[in-house]
Amino acid sequence: MAISVTPQIFNYVSFDSGLIASIATELVESLGMNEYNVTITVDETTPLARTTYNLDDGINIFSDSGAFEDTRKPRQQSELATATSLGRVLLRARDRLVGGFGEAPPDKELSLAQVAAWETYSMGRLERLGVLVNQQRWRYNFRNRHGFTDAADAAFEAIFNSDGLTWGELDSISSTASMQT
Amino acid sequence: MRKFFPVDDLARDERFNKVTMRDRMRDPRTALTSDTDSSGKRTSNFRLTPERRDASDGARGLMHGIFVGEIQALEGAGRTCWDFETGTEAPFALKLDMARQCWDEARHVEISVKLSDWMGSEIGQYAENTVLFEAACSTDPVLRLAGVNRALEGLAIDVFTTMKEFGNLAGDPYLEFCEDWMLADEVTHVKMGSDWLRKITENDPERRKKALEFQSVVDKLFSYGGTRSDSHESPIGLARRFRELAGFTDDEVEVIADVSMQALNERKEAVAKMLAAAEQFADSSANA
Repeated sequence: MAISVTPQIFNYVSFDSGLIASIATELVESLGMNEYNVTITVDETTPLARTTYNLDDGINIFSDSGAFEDTRKPRQQSELATATSLGRVLLRARDRLVGGFGEAPPDKELSLAQVAAWETYSMGRLERLGVLVNQQRWRYNFRNRHGFTDAADAAFEAIFNSDGLTWGELDSISSTASMQT
Repeated sequence: MRKFFPVDDLARDERFNKVTMRDRMRDPRTALTSDTDSSGKRTSNFRLTPERRDASDGARGLMHGIFVGEIQALEGAGRTCWDFETGTEAPFALKLDMARQCWDEARHVEISVKLSDWMGSEIGQYAENTVLFEAACSTDPVLRLAGVNRALEGLAIDVFTTMKEFGNLAGDPYLEFCEDWMLADEVTHVKMGSDWLRKITENDPERRKKALEFQSVVDKLFSYGGTRSDSHESPIGLARRFRELAGFTDDEVEVIADVSMQALNERKEAVAKMLAAAEQFADSSANA
């Protein structure tokens, strides 16, 4: 396993590339992904918080600086935000690499509801790994995409508390909840 | 109890982190908060709607901004009740209006806390921009009314309208109705400011002019970076109908619309310049 972070020195924000690498290393080990090389590229020119990835020759993560930022202290790094952002994409990458998610559309073609369902699935697993998670934040996101209904809440609970779902199972729970809006 | 409380001394517990407008302007990333194509043109509709991929987090952030804004509006209206001598500096009826506004703002703070909880945010989760209270530090009550009730509360009308629509589109009944109720209060706050501004400066055109200029400065500050304007490139729209109900004339709304568009265009120019500089830097590095 090799983990690299770009840039090494930040000019727009007070981020620590060593800290990003150590958080990523811990996550990769916890998720049993040691056989993969991971590159992390941070765009420090934007405060947006997008994180994307591709699986071209290892796992390549691209994050806006807002994804690792402490919202209480602008331009400062948050370990929790870093772990949450990296953990979400690493889990999604693992889902695609390990199997069971072969029918999942490419990330750019996922609907907002599908993204919310997959995020929920990732956040539940991250919480069980020991990462601090505000469940209500993700429940609110899930409701925005599936409706503010009891059915959507039940679907959220089912996904959040699951391990080992396939794409078909995840998508089925999501679309069933959306239909009951 | 001392008068004219400085912004640095606002009481906050350890959960809060205050930032000033100066801090915000120092952030070199601020001018780049948009999706741009290679030519530097903004490519997206940035209005805060559920269709945005970051809609939930955007709404949570804006809700926290509303929450701290309500605290500062409460502090500002409270200071206006205390900072000026009744009769000689401010009429009793004006202070009574400010006291009533304090009651409304305190209720809004409570509603905002509950809405933040509902949306999965914690108190103090986002930095608190203190620009709202800074507008409430003027030593002239008329300027304070122009800055706080007309500019600040006017912005609140725009923000609440955007959030109410967001709740409606997302099917979130709590958000939609809470914002609607708060919006109704804000319209009365702006109307109070408009009415008192006209009444107090009825025979003092110079003071009125000064107050309106101050309002314009505050309006532009609140439009900083193109956050609020008629354009869909701004996250927050200009709520023309509610502003009309709040006592703004058509001309006054047009002035705010112009100021807001100017702020948006300035931001777009800054983005284009920075992108051009970055490209030039990249080219020179490649040729070196």
